[in-house]
Amino acid sequence: MKPEFFDRLFNYFSWGCSILLVGAVLTIVGFLIANGYQSLNLHLIFDDTRPLDAIFLKSQVFDGLFPAIAGTLFLITLSIIVAIPLGLATGIFLAEYCPPKIKGSFSLLFDILAGIPSIVVGLFGFCVTIFLHHYFYTRLFPCLLISALSLAFLVLPYIIRTTQISLETLPLSVRLTAPSLGATKLQNIFYVLLPSSLSGILSGIILSIGRCAEDTAVIMLTGAVATAGIPKSVFSSFEALPFYIYYISSQYSDNSELMKGYGACLILLFICISLFVFAHWIKKRLSQKILYRP
Amino acid sequence: MDVKETIFKSVFFAASILSAGITLFILGFMIVLALPILKQGLFFDMLTGPWAPDHGLFGLGPMIIGTICIALMALVISFPVSLGCSFFIGILNPRGLGKWLKKIIESMTAVPTVIYGFVGIFFLVPLVRELFLKGSGMCILSAAIMLSILISPTMILFFVQSFSMVPQNDLNAVDALGGNTAQKFFYVVLPHSWKGMLTGIILSFGRAMGDTLIALMISGNSVAFPGSVLDSARTLTAHIALIIAADFDSIEFKTIFLSSIFLYIMTSFGIIMSRFSFKKRKTINET
Amino acid sequence: MPMTENIKINIKNLWFYYNDHPILEDISLEIPQNTITAVTGPSGQGKSTFLMTLNRLWESIEETRIKGHIEIRFGSDFQNIYDKRYNVSDLRRQVGMVFQVPNPLPMSIYNNIAFPLKLKGENNKTLGSFRVEDALKRSFLWDEVKDRLNEDARALSGGQQQRLCIARALVLNPQVLLLDEPTSSLDDKSGRVIEDLLLELKKDCTMILVSHYLDQVKRIADSGMVLSDRQMKQQW
Ligand SMILES: Nc1ncnc2c1ncn2[C@@H]1O[C@H](COP(=O)(O)OP(=O)(O)OP(=O)(O)O)[C@@H](O)[C@H]1O
Ligand SMILES: [Mg+2]
Repeated sequence: MKPEFFDRLFNYFSWGCSILLVGAVLTIVGFLIANGYQSLNLHLIFDDTRPLDAIFLKSQVFDGLFPAIAGTLFLITLSIIVAIPLGLATGIFLAEYCPPKIKGSFSLLFDILAGIPSIVVGLFGFCVTIFLHHYFYTRLFPCLLISALSLAFLVLPYIIRTTQISLETLPLSVRLTAPSLGATKLQNIFYVLLPSSLSGILSGIILSIGRCAEDTAVIMLTGAVATAGIPKSVFSSFEALPFYIYYISSQYSDNSELMKGYGACLILLFICISLFVFAHWIKKRLSQKILYRP
Repeated sequence: MDVKETIFKSVFFAASILSAGITLFILGFMIVLALPILKQGLFFDMLTGPWAPDHGLFGLGPMIIGTICIALMALVISFPVSLGCSFFIGILNPRGLGKWLKKIIESMTAVPTVIYGFVGIFFLVPLVRELFLKGSGMCILSAAIMLSILISPTMILFFVQSFSMVPQNDLNAVDALGGNTAQKFFYVVLPHSWKGMLTGIILSFGRAMGDTLIALMISGNSVAFPGSVLDSARTLTAHIALIIAADFDSIEFKTIFLSSIFLYIMTSFGIIMSRFSFKKRKTINET
Repeated sequence: MPMTENIKINIKNLWFYYNDHPILEDISLEIPQNTITAVTGPSGQGKSTFLMTLNRLWESIEETRIKGHIEIRFGSDFQNIYDKRYNVSDLRRQVGMVFQVPNPLPMSIYNNIAFPLKLKGENNKTLGSFRVEDALKRSFLWDEVKDRLNEDARALSGGQQQRLCIARALVLNPQVLLLDEPTSSLDDKSGRVIEDLLLELKKDCTMILVSHYLDQVKRIADSGMVLSDRQMKQQW
């Protein structure tokens, strides 16, 4: 057969697949926008409450997305607060202290943790709660805290791995500068190595935030509910944007509720894509621009 | 000063032990909770048998079949498309468009799965129902299509990365000998990159198996053994999400621990395999 | 023995390995006080590695091993620098190092120079700024940067950066200064400035200078060594 024939086939195939995939993505986004753009307004979020009143918790929002958005924010904050120190410390240990022999097994474990389906992590969180409820503290139920802790485990491997890799890929010249000036290992880590790998670590953290924002499987097992209002403490159940979307998709009673579902999808999609773009921007710019001021 | 060094080192070490411990503890805890049914020696019956609680049958067979069918089918749909897209990005790259396609695909990784599920219900399911004029449209096919979109970024990014590891010299050599693109692919690119591609495939399969929301929302969740791709099916992950509301001490509930163990072991196995192929490839590059 | 009075560094039977692969083989050497000793030799022979054995910096690199004995005279006594009880940070404060490629840290000019003081835990601000100024003056950089001490150090030119790194090494008043091709990334003129600077420093420091430029070596070094085939040979 003629070689040009293959070349052309190859060409068509590549173009065809690319157009197909991009088309699918555009269809998904377009479908959401086409159906949901009308519902995108303050009323969707705050219902009939005045936005400022809602934000300062003066009055409750009953029929808007505000509690779900707030719940998602609380959730992200809590889990990141848990995951960052743990992940950073572990990443530092792996990159700077871990003997090569056990490094392999540690890394494997964290890869496995990253691969565990999130519903399994959710089930784990649920069972631990039930266990504690039975044996230690009967007033403990699935709640914001449990969800946040489970999510923290879910994103932990991302933070660990980005920290480890950012540290390990620092050039030797950066690594040796502070020790040559009399720095101890710890001083080197805190004064030079961590600041130098900040952009990598930060983008890892932002991607983890995105993961916390979008995960549904974990929270539906560990305390997310359809109506809870703004959570009063970490021990109360809560609403979250992705869970709301799931809930609406199966339980909507009329068209206006469905419209709110579309609106919620758009908001969530916007949050996640923005976080992603932000992470990439940081990765690219922070090292060059913000730290380097010519 | 030395005391501070030691304290921090111990803190870092403790954090690592904690993080690693959690990973193992998840598996351990699930096994302990599943012990009551594991003890009865029904392990294999449960993995293969049918699910009929009314008749006292709590087999996970349909769910395992459902999981594998949906994940495999997603892989089958996604693989050629991903291959084409990675050709586009990594080999063809017409007028620098590859870079843009890559950006789009990277940002696809940020799309929440619940959104795929949502669009699946309200767009794809009606479409499938109209097209095939059979059932509700909530079926293996619908779930697999949505999942294939979900996993394609993983696969494409791995493919592109392995293509980029092909030495430029070898590519130039083929060009110099007047080889065409297809020859270049089969004789140079594939031998260098198939292991990385395999890693991508394994990890995407794991991702397809581990996803809950898409299957839960659009595969119909029927507990019968599926007969065709237009049949409804239930995945293990969806099973966990659905049974969680049951009584904690019931046998039904115990089966979800078994599901978890199965999922945990399958994904871990995939990761170990992918690591293995990754290691091998590295040593090849070094020599 | 009047000779030992003048000896600053005493190296005996030094072996060095990367991944069990010998780089330095049985090197013995005595380096007199307040001199510049030049080390030349082909690329990749272990010149940088040799310098790193003198401040134990290789210990931060994986899969390395050393054998042998190195003593440096601080005050009147020789100190075995590989003694277990000897603190490596103290050693590196006495034995400064300037790298092949200037390596300013991502902070201001002032903070770069003050960084070793901070590491040492010296918090006296006035004394600190006095020492920073002194170091910058000794490295002929003060006039060029005195009005922009708060700017990012990486905005300086290559030659300025290299003098900054020298100033940073000088701020702790080291007795020994290890210089790894300090002029290799500079043009002739900036190189000359650094050469003058080194000659000036001879009264305070004992220096070991790795250099590729034979004319430079001839201009400023008191003795010349060649490192090749894992051996160190005296040239003059
Ligand atoms: N981290 C390392 N791991 C393994 N081998 C190394 C490492 N660093 C250097 N080497 C090897 O040790 C040898 C000596 O390196 P070194 O940097 O000391 O050479 P050099 O004489 O300073 O060369 P140049 O003049 O190019 O700076 C080289 O062959 C190099 O390949
Ligand atoms: Mg060198």
